[in-house]
Amino acid sequence: MSGHSIMVIDDENIVGKMIKATFQKEGYEVETFLHAKPAFERLKEREFDVVITDLKMKDIDGMEVLNTIKQEFPNTKVIMITAFASMDASIEAFRKSADDFFPKPIKITELKDCIKRLLNG
Amino acid sequence: MKLVHKIILGNVLGIVTIVLIAFFSYHEVKLIQAKLRFVEIADNLNASFLEMRLSEKNYFLYNDPLALQSIKKELQESEQMIRSMRENIITAVGTENFKKLNSNLKRYGKEVEKIDGKNTKVLEAGIREAGRALRMFSESIIKLERNKVNQIISASSKGLLYFFCLVLFVATTSTYLFFSKIFKSLRQIEKTANSISEGNFLETECKISNDELGSAMQAINSMCVELKTRHEQLIQSKKLASIGVLTAGVAHELGNPLNNISMVAQTYTELYDELNKSERLDYMNTVLEECSRIKDIVQNLLDFSRPKKTDFKVSDINTVIKNSLRLVQNMLHVSGVETGLNLQKELPMVYIDENKIQGVLVNLYTNAIQAMPPGGTLSIRSFFENDSGHIMIEIEDTGTGISPEFISNIFDPFFSTKGTQGTGLGLSISYGIIKNHQGEIRVKSDVGAGTTFTIELPVYTAKEDMDEWSQHYGN
Repeated sequence: MSGHSIMVIDDENIVGKMIKATFQKEGYEVETFLHAKPAFERLKEREFDVVITDLKMKDIDGMEVLNTIKQEFPNTKVIMITAFASMDASIEAFRKSADDFFPKPIKITELKDCIKRLLNG
Repeated sequence: MKLVHKIILGNVLGIVTIVLIAFFSYHEVKLIQAKLRFVEIADNLNASFLEMRLSEKNYFLYNDPLALQSIKKELQESEQMIRSMRENIITAVGTENFKKLNSNLKRYGKEVEKIDGKNTKVLEAGIREAGRALRMFSESIIKLERNKVNQIISASSKGLLYFFCLVLFVATTSTYLFFSKIFKSLRQIEKTANSISEGNFLETECKISNDELGSAMQAINSMCVELKTRHEQLIQSKKLASIGVLTAGVAHELGNPLNNISMVAQTYTELYDELNKSERLDYMNTVLEECSRIKDIVQNLLDFSRPKKTDFKVSDINTVIKNSLRLVQNMLHVSGVETGLNLQKELPMVYIDENKIQGVLVNLYTNAIQAMPPGGTLSIRSFFENDSGHIMIEIEDTGTGISPEFISNIFDPFFSTKGTQGTGLGLSISYGIIKNHQGEIRVKSDVGAGTTFTIELPVYTAKEDMDEWSQHYGN
């Protein structure tokens, strides 16, 4: 069992639900959020090893989520996901030190490999 | 003819007229001068003749030889004066009268010669007769010339008056014609410029004159053509930009449900053995829901790109407002939103597709309700605006408001501030519908205070006009 924790922030309910179903089976502890604000509240209570966040959300922009997490929790790995994949968005995400960038539709096996690599590396 | 040439021609004609008047006046003054000079000479002669006649009387009455000498002296002086003033006298009274005067004087001279120291009744009668004839003739021509001088002065003053009237008339008429033409052209230019400022890049259809104003009209016309071309290019580039926005929007909108289906399918495959029957059904239902979401997006997109045939009819906008409000009654109740209706009575009728306008209103009510916390108020106002001749509908909420940076985008396709709750097509479809009704839709918003949407619709005028409009815009 992995024992690592993952936080998913995406206003698409199904994304969190499916990541949770897959990664819980692998032994990860997964918490899902539809909005960034409650996710920040939760981050104040406990630290997560990986945060998977959508780039475009109603309340807060994904880039802002990335900035905040990288400033306050430098050890937390951040993976950006978006249906609005463009070269500019990925470049900006990496420039702001996102650990990886996944365009939708997400390949879950690739996401698994990525998380394993990030946590072991 | 160019304006500058017209102005030069006008000035030249003016100068020529003034020169003619001056020449005429100079000629008349010269003539009067000659006549007066003659009258002066004639007065002198007349005085001499009077003197001669007095001496004549003295001679015959008192037989005074000095009197005869005095006559001869006066006679000699008169002859000398007539000779020296010959040209002046001829100019004034003509050769004929000059000759008559001269012969009268000669006749008198001959009678005087005949006396030669004698004093007879016959001689007296002869000389008296010649003297009287001479004096009568000289007095008659003086009288004649005085009359002539008066006539010339009177004719000159009349002539000058006529000339002045003619000049005044010509100047007034030509100035009026000249300026009325300029003002007509300026009005045409003003009309065209106003039409351009309203966005109609139509060339003027009036005849273009061959002068500076014509050149200005031609310049405006070519500006119209250029503006029209640029405007069309701008519209084209905006259309291309819209396609870009539309494509990005479609990609984003469809990307999410596609990703959801993909993730559900991947998880389903991986966890297949561990899932029970109800969980498997739950997964498949999720797939179906996401498929239905895609179908809705595609349907909205089709509605947006290909509006359905419109059904225009004469309607009362207040009835449409009330009917559409009934459709959101439940939503209002659930959200705890109050409504305030302020509809102006007996509004002029509008010519609209009721279903489509109802759709627009429901869309605006829904947006307003979603933007408000419980306890908010949705106010709907309708009134007739005299200035524009349009019916106005205002839909005001006390919601969160729209940030100024989003205001310019809210009518763009796929622009939404509602996240997954909206497709971002509602307002852009509404915008298209109102435009098809030759109306306007505007938004005003204050963050934290609320948003007001204003719809402007033209009032119904005549059915035939509207039928034509329906043919143009309704399909």
